Amino acid sequence: MAVALPAFVASHRANWDSLEALLTRQREGTLSLAELRALDTLYRRAASDLAHAQTFYPGTDAHRFLNQLCARAYAAIYQPPRERWASVKAFFRREFPQTLRRELRYVGASAALFILGLLLGALVVLWEPRGAELLVPAGVRQYVSQGRMWTDDILSVAPPNSVSSGIATNNLTVTILTFAMGLFYGLGTVFILVNNGVQIGAIAALCAREGMLGGLLDFISAHGPVELSVIVIAGGAGLMVGQSLIDPGELPRGQALALRGREAVKLVLGCAPFLALIGVVEGYVSPGDLFPTWAKAALGLALGGLFWGYLLRAGSAVAETAPEVSAS
Amino acid sequence: MSTASSPHLAVATPERVALSLPVAGIGYRCLAWLVDAGLLFFFWVVAYFVFTLLVSDVLGVFQGLSGLGQTLLVVGIFATQWLYWTLGEVFFHGQTPGKRALRIRVVRLDGSPVGLYESAVRNLCRAVDFLPGVYAAGCISMLLTSRHQRLGDLLAGTVLVREERIDLDKYTARTPESGVLGPKATRALTPDEVELVLAFLSRAPGLEADIRRKMGTRLVDKLGGLTDEERTHVLASAESAEAFLRAHVQVER
Repeated sequence: MAVALPAFVASHRANWDSLEALLTRQREGTLSLAELRALDTLYRRAASDLAHAQTFYPGTDAHRFLNQLCARAYAAIYQPPRERWASVKAFFRREFPQTLRRELRYVGASAALFILGLLLGALVVLWEPRGAELLVPAGVRQYVSQGRMWTDDILSVAPPNSVSSGIATNNLTVTILTFAMGLFYGLGTVFILVNNGVQIGAIAALCAREGMLGGLLDFISAHGPVELSVIVIAGGAGLMVGQSLIDPGELPRGQALALRGREAVKLVLGCAPFLALIGVVEGYVSPGDLFPTWAKAALGLALGGLFWGYLLRAGSAVAETAPEVSAS
Repeated sequence: MSTASSPHLAVATPERVALSLPVAGIGYRCLAWLVDAGLLFFFWVVAYFVFTLLVSDVLGVFQGLSGLGQTLLVVGIFATQWLYWTLGEVFFHGQTPGKRALRIRVVRLDGSPVGLYESAVRNLCRAVDFLPGVYAAGCISMLLTSRHQRLGDLLAGTVLVREERIDLDKYTARTPESGVLGPKATRALTPDEVELVLAFLSRAPGLEADIRRKMGTRLVDKLGGLTDEERTHVLASAESAEAFLRAHVQVER
């Protein structure tokens, strides 16, 4: 037989209050070992009180209170492992490249889409010059028709550093969007990839027709390889998200999405510092005549090579030894 | 908890007790966002004014910075806008300042606190939730999903839960010993009745006089167990009726 509600509350209140106080201390990180043990005991007691309240006093404030108290204690006791600085290092040394290698199919598909867009844009403009009116922004077209690089002009108006910072933030935005648009069943990512490809392809083709391909290559060779790689990788992450929505496999769609989302975001987070770095290159090295074209091209190829070398090799030794450890 | 209309997140604990956390709806979330956005906005406004107060020639200083310094500054400002949310959620137990003000919290679907990855996912997805403007996509998603998740929450597997402030004092508060009619414990009250009486007692001071009196009368009658004479005595004033009710609830222990 259940005791009356006020009596139930009165007899257990002290325990609950001390559990609450301990939880507050736990959050501040000032618990002694004895107090930690007390917290564990009190939590178990509160959990059994909650079970009691669920049976005998459902829907009362006491029930709600216990429910909330137990939820707080539960969150404090069953904590997921905390990410610390060491895990940031481990992330860049192993986890990021390993995740990328595991999901290389998606990155490949993303690259294919991007290249498809590139070819489409280039072919359209090469075959039908008026296509450029549709595909190339008006400002760029104006410069090209005057036989100048639009990038030279940006420089003369604004100091190179403001260009660089603008470029860096713009690239971050594009990367984030490319990934996040995967939530629309991957279609958003596909659109951004193809769209970017078409634009770049069309601009390149237009420059080629006007005999300015050299100038364009001069501008993009230093930062292009890494920057386009990053966008392609973010596209791969977006495709992973889209794939988990279309084909969640044996999991419910929501769970599959959450699971793959965790993996996919690693690709985006891993790319972020490289993107910021390449923004600096794009702002300082790429525009103008400060560096000769061959130096820019060499720098671009070297950076691209390093980036992919890192992605494809880093942490692989650990990956090979890890199964042995677990097997032994 | 009893109302079906407010959604809950059910969590099964290893202690074999089911927790159910109340999920925060679109209103709470919008308000929390407004607080956060306001904070960010005022932070930049104040930072700007302090800066201009200390430095007369703002443009000159900015141009005088080395190129790298300027780039870092702009990228830093951009990053602050993004990092604010994730850092808040990871280091302050799932609460940005706005969420803390509204007493809501981000948790995983199993009720545990969010980690770096979940928080990063849900905050990167702000870019999509914001489309085509003022979080339209996110709001539609919140309205359509049973647990009021925006797209970023769906991708990260997180949900926002409410923390209610519940006062247990009403159960244990002692009545000042008054001469009013000692209650005769006629029968044990059901928890529902106790809850009802307590709810009335905590709200009574805010009710209009005749409504307060009418409801007190109805509750006294509901509890019953009084002779006619006692009843008229108890119902003489609103205060005496409430004192009777309070004593009645507390004799239970």
